[in-house]
Amino acid sequence: MPRYAMTIDLSLCVGCAACAVACKMENEVPPGVRRLWIRERELGIFPDLTVEFRPEQCLHCANPPCVPVCPTGASYQTKDGLVLVDPKKCIACGACVAACPYDARYLHPAGYVDKCTFCQHRLEKGRLPACVETCPTGCRAFGDLDDPESPVAKVLKEAGRVDVLRPELGTKPKLFYLNAPSKKGLTRESEVHHD
Amino acid sequence: MTEFYGLPNAGEFWHWTNTLHFILVGLAGGVAFLAALLHLQNAKEARFFTLVALGLIALDLFVLWAESPARFRFTHVWLFLTFHPQSPIWWGAWGLALAFLSGGLLHLNRGPKEALKRVFLVASLVALAYPGLALAVNLNRPLWNALMLALFPITALALGLGLAILLKQAWARLPFQSFLGLALFLAALYPFSLSAEARAHFLEEGGIAYGLLLALGLGAFFGKGLAPWLGLVSAAGLRALLVLVGQWQGLGL
Repeated sequence: MPRYAMTIDLSLCVGCAACAVACKMENEVPPGVRRLWIRERELGIFPDLTVEFRPEQCLHCANPPCVPVCPTGASYQTKDGLVLVDPKKCIACGACVAACPYDARYLHPAGYVDKCTFCQHRLEKGRLPACVETCPTGCRAFGDLDDPESPVAKVLKEAGRVDVLRPELGTKPKLFYLNAPSKKGLTRESEVHHD
Repeated sequence: MTEFYGLPNAGEFWHWTNTLHFILVGLAGGVAFLAALLHLQNAKEARFFTLVALGLIALDLFVLWAESPARFRFTHVWLFLTFHPQSPIWWGAWGLALAFLSGGLLHLNRGPKEALKRVFLVASLVALAYPGLALAVNLNRPLWNALMLALFPITALALGLGLAILLKQAWARLPFQSFLGLALFLAALYPFSLSAEARAHFLEEGGIAYGLLLALGLGAFFGKGLAPWLGLVSAAGLRALLVLVGQWQGLGL
């Protein structure tokens, strides 16, 4: 059974938002909500300046806090590590939205919670997620973490620096950020507030 | 962050309708717990309090259904067809349902009375405790810390006892003042239980309301006729404030 993961090389991301547009189109995400967005930050003053374009989405955590709080089992984890929502079981109580540390979930106007699925419907057909396929700089890689020949395993091995969002929470995300522009790693909102 | 790139789904996810549920479930759980205790003591007021509790539970369940975006999809049936003891809301659903069922049977004088009294007591305890647990499990939201586990059940009891005073039950005055006092003491300690960032956010977003609610609660110890009203507003307001302001994700992203 594969263990799906994604990497985003921040040294290659130019913030063009093609991934966000592809996601919207592929998954018919309604206006006003999103499965994928890009956080853009400028921190510091030249020459000590950091500009970060950071695409964010569901991280398909290995230890997802959104799954155990679901009272109906609508939020679940597949054997290949995807964290999904079954709309037929979702009561839209918002417990998973509250539990997600990454603001990755939203309430779909049709009355259920929705989020990135790593384009599971495409994976079933042997295709890559839409965001990976569409990225013009090739900053995204996707594949099986346990397969050393998969693109994701290869770039993780070669990366100079690997970070995940909010590692202190112990969620073990499976979306890895490579080569963050700051030597300190991924930027945080707390830095913006103290900048 | 520019809007061109799209913003994260960081807005409020629980609105005033959900806040109303957090108040009603406290009131319903508190009154149901009092009714269960009165049943165990074979007090004559037990039947009346059970009826009030049944009304409040029904009203709360109606609010939950009416505010749910899934209200016409009838997915709520899965709450009772699946087993998810790790989820506080699953416990809450069962607590409210069993409190309604056991309370209803007690009111109608049907079924094994002694067993039903105990089921009513346990179910009402679950109903008044689960909202605090549902908030405290979110370790990512710094304003919903472990103090929620105490504040929500205690304010629920204060709400139930405040309503009992309004229903001319003199015995409720002393426990009402005790639980309200304890709730206000914990609420006063609350900002000191937060990190500096979280405290600053809480006081910036809800500082004025927080101060007013504490003052109103203290007023319940001095005003006579208004005392239960002041206590009810204070306890309900504190619950609403914590739910609304507490949705803040913190500065970790």
